Formats: sequence, structure tokens, C-alpha cells
Amino acid sequence: MSKESKKGMTRRTFIKTAGAAAVAAGTFGFPAIVRSAPTELNVSGWGGTWSQIMKASVYPAFEKEHNCVIKTDTAFPFAPKLLASPKSKPFYDVMHANSNDQWKVAVAGFIEESYDPKKVPHIVDLHPFATSDKIAGIAAFTSAIGLGYRTDKTDCTFESWKDLWDKKFAGVRGTYVITNSLGTCAFMMAGKVFGKGLEDTEAAFKAMEALKPVKMVDFTGTMEKQLFSGEVIVGVIHDSAIWRHLEKNAPLAFSVPKEGVLALEQVWSVTKGSQKKELGYAFINHMLSPEIQKIAVEGMWYNPANKNVQLEQKFKEHLFTTAEQVKQLVQVDWKWYNANEDILTMKYNKIFQAR
Amino acid sequence: MKTRGWDIIVFRGVNIALIGFLLLPIVVVILFAFNSAEFIVFPPEGFSLRWFHKFFTDPDFMGSFFRSLKLAFLTVIVSTGVGTMAAIAIVRGKIPGARFLSALFLSPLMLPAILTGLALFQFYVIIEAGRTFWGLLIGHIVVTIPYVIRTSTTVLYNFDISIEEAAMNLGAGPWDTFRHVTLPLIRPGVIAGSIFAFIVSFDQFPVSLFLVNPGENTLPIHLFNYLKYSFDPTVAAASTVSIAMSITVVLVLEFTVGLQEYVRL
Repeated sequence: MSKESKKGMTRRTFIKTAGAAAVAAGTFGFPAIVRSAPTELNVSGWGGTWSQIMKASVYPAFEKEHNCVIKTDTAFPFAPKLLASPKSKPFYDVMHANSNDQWKVAVAGFIEESYDPKKVPHIVDLHPFATSDKIAGIAAFTSAIGLGYRTDKTDCTFESWKDLWDKKFAGVRGTYVITNSLGTCAFMMAGKVFGKGLEDTEAAFKAMEALKPVKMVDFTGTMEKQLFSGEVIVGVIHDSAIWRHLEKNAPLAFSVPKEGVLALEQVWSVTKGSQKKELGYAFINHMLSPEIQKIAVEGMWYNPANKNVQLEQKFKEHLFTTAEQVKQLVQVDWKWYNANEDILTMKYNKIFQAR
Repeated sequence: MKTRGWDIIVFRGVNIALIGFLLLPIVVVILFAFNSAEFIVFPPEGFSLRWFHKFFTDPDFMGSFFRSLKLAFLTVIVSTGVGTMAAIAIVRGKIPGARFLSALFLSPLMLPAILTGLALFQFYVIIEAGRTFWGLLIGHIVVTIPYVIRTSTTVLYNFDISIEEAAMNLGAGPWDTFRHVTLPLIRPGVIAGSIFAFIVSFDQFPVSLFLVNPGENTLPIHLFNYLKYSFDPTVAAASTVSIAMSITVVLVLEFTVGLQEYVRL
């Protein structure tokens, strides 16, 4: 027998005792350990400035109140990832995307399209566009797609969408590829302006043909750049992209044509298969609260969905905040568009293909 | 036959024009990076280092930059090791179906990378692996190994096997023969493949798009996200830093290993 064992405490017995003590501590401490582990809420969201605002000013209060961690996937596109995941274990608990993508996943049965005010109380405070039949989910914000133009290069104030087609702007006007939501919206607005309505694609295609020559871009940022540099005098653009440069005193203005502006909604939805639905509803309700709406509106120049947001005068002057103003927002039937996307994209690209 | 002077002038002129055509976009990006204007405009409006300052002081940019670097270095290590061994097995291993194996290893090059990314994403969902750094690393290895295998098999097929036989006849064992004879002679192919693997991994976008863990974007993904809301020259500054890094790597390799010989495969 070794010297150590003669003393009564050997290395072996010490290790056994310590191990048992650790297991006991773990067993008794287990509920505390489980309680303190925060729940992960998987959401999708934009990167860049949006992500910075969310992380700095929007998420922390919610995470503290609900003992959760919000994990945001900013690697767009989001819809293919959600669609690739099983419905019973969706990739996101809450999906934030534009309306076109929300409808794609809604049609596939992944998200809840409408919400109970008992679960999302702020829903009763929203403008009608936020929960209209054109929305799958809840729109917390929207941009307005109209015409941005250089005030120093033209006297035209673009009272009508038809002014974009004026021959004097040939080659110095801009629009988007149809795969960009703004391009789709502009295309469908052409159907309304020159035809019978947003879905009059025959009229819209004729209008696109008449729009040539036109500068085509794929990113909103590119259109901003072209307006700033003067490469285009007028371009299809959303209001946020013009108003956030207000303090630079650039010779830019945003026109709300008489036919209306198109809504580019920022929509949130809870996935049907999420195991954290209550947390998801609470998160959406948080995004709809006046305080959070104010932060996002002032950071991004988005138009708020909540009627009760208190904004500074400079935001009220330019954004759509009253009931009368939001009536000018034209909402696209994205469910219809998605069902016809392939053929419309093909025909659109044929008109604008390089020769 | 005597070459006339004007032949040489035309020849050099065409070469300079071609090189200029290839390098001009890089020069323009670098000019944008030093531009003082708020947007990417040409010609530049003034000189400023503010976009580099923004790039180096932005935690998201720096995080994604170092993440991409780490990923690229790990990808090179694994792709080079596995790819070289695979190449040797295919060329020398006398394995049945070696040609099929070669085609299989090179198949990621024939698929659009976005499909590879989506397929791996779905696979990870099925096995409930989630999205992790290691899953992303595997995705990068899948799309970079073909480059190492391709360049290594090329040098192996042109290899004079009698040199190895001579070494073994003189008493060298298989490992010593590989270490002192085979590896130095196939090094051009291995290094060329490694350089490709680094570039492909660092610039990888479609695979990373599906596999990055939320909040842990690689540089290409972060740049793409950034462009959604901002179109300032920070993107050009990030690109300039990447270009400078690539040039530095090539110069370091040239001074340490000497690349001139390795250009000839």
C-alpha cells in the first residue's frame, strides 16, 4: 500500500470526491443554470446602417426584458434559406424582408400572414397599409418609391409619372432591373399610368419600350450615385435615399407624382414552425412601438407604420405620417407578381437587352 | 530571318495595351479609395484618407476582414494537404476508377458556386449542424480543393518517375524519397494551387452567402450588405487593402521562395 493511501486520502479518492461534488452542485444548480441561459431568437435583417441602429438602439432593451439574444442573419437573400429549412424547424423565428419575399414564403406555408391584437397589441395603432391584404405579416415601416431629380438641371417638378417619359430626359433618366423591387414597382406603375392598372403588363411593356434610352441600375445606391454625379437628371428612387442627404444641401428633390408613390414595405412575420412564437410576437410588437419606430425612422428616414410616433418637424415635413399622406401609397400585389415573375422578367430583359 | 523593328514595337504595344486593359479597373478602384467625394465618382474630386480611416476603425469591417483572412489561411492549409495527397493518389496510386475520382474532385468547378452553397446549407440543416465557422470552412475547402488537385496533377503527370526510382535505388525510403525528391519537384504545382485556393477563399461570395453564421460575415458578404444602404468609397478602400495584401503576399513569396520558376508549370 502506498504512503498516500495510508493517510486516508489518495489521489483517486480526491478525484472521486471532487467529481461527485461537481455533479451535486450541477444538479442543484441546474435550474439556475437553465434559467440564466438566454433564449436565442433567430431573425433576418438588413446589414450596414440598419444593423448598426438595431444593435445599438433597438435590440438591447428587448434582449434585457425578455432574457434573449437576437441573432440576426444579414446575408441576403433570406427567402431561399427559409424555404430550404424544414417547416417544423424553420431557419428563422422571425423573418424581416420586403413584401415580395414575404409572399414567397407565405405561399409556401412558412409564415403567419395575420396576427391577433392580443399577441401584438400595437397592431391597432397602425396605418391601414401595414396590415392590408397586400401584406403577408405586418409592415412596420415603408419607403415611398417616386422620382428623385436634380433641381439644378431641370425646371420640371415631375407632377406626373408620365414626365419621366418626356423626350427631353432621354438618356438622362434612370430605372432598375426588374429583379430589384424598385424596378418591379416602376414597371407596374407604368401599367397604372399608361394602362388600366398595376397589372396591365401589356401597357407596362409598351411604356418600357418608350422609356429607352434609359440608364439601368441594380442597386439603389447606384441610382443615388448617378443622381449625385449628374449622370441622370431624374430617376426612380425611394424617398429615404433622397431625404437622408438633406443636410448635405445637395440639389436633389423627391417628387410624389399625382398618380401616387409605390410602397416598399419593411415586413416582419413569425414563422409557423418556430418554437419561440410568443417571443417572436413580442419582438414584432417591440418594433411597432412608437419609441422604436421613432429610432428607426430618424436613423433610416423610413415612413412609420404606427400612427402615434412623435417625430421632429423635419421628418414630418418629408415623410408620410398622416392618414391623408399614406393614402398616396400604392401597394403592389406581390403575390400576383411572384406568380408571374418568370415570364415578366424574361420579357422585361428582352426589351432592355444590350445589342 | 531578321525581325524588323516595327514588329517588336507592335508586339510590345499590344502587350502593354492588354496589360493596361487588365490593370486599369484596379487603378480606378484605388483612385476611388483616395477620393474625397461622398460617392464613387470619376474623375476624383480631391485626395482623402477618410475612407481608409472608416474601414480600419469600423469593427464590422475589421471583424469581417480578419475573419476572411483566417478562413483563407485555414482553407489553404487543408486544401493544399488534402489536395496534394489526392493528386498523388490519383496519378500514382493505381486506384480503380482514378479518372472518375479525378472528375468527382473537380466537379465543384463545374457547378455554380451558389448551388454548392445552397446544397451544403440544406445538408447542414438535415444533419442539424447549424451554421458554424467549421461548416463554412468545409464549404470553402470544397470549392478550393479542385484548384490544388488540378495544378498538382499537372506537374505529377509531367514528372520523370525515374528520378524517384534512382533515389530509392540509392537507399532512400518512400518517405525520404517523397520529402527530398518528389515534393521539391512538384512544389510549383502545389504552390500555384495554394495561391488559387487563397484567392478563391478570400473572395468567396456565393458559398459564404448561405453558410456564414449570423453576425460573423466574411468581407465579401459584409461589402455586399454595406452596398444596400451606402455607396461611399469605403468599399473602394476595402478593395484597395485587399489588393495591397495580395501584392504583398506575392512579393513575400517572391523574395522567400522565388516565384519565377513556379510560374512555369
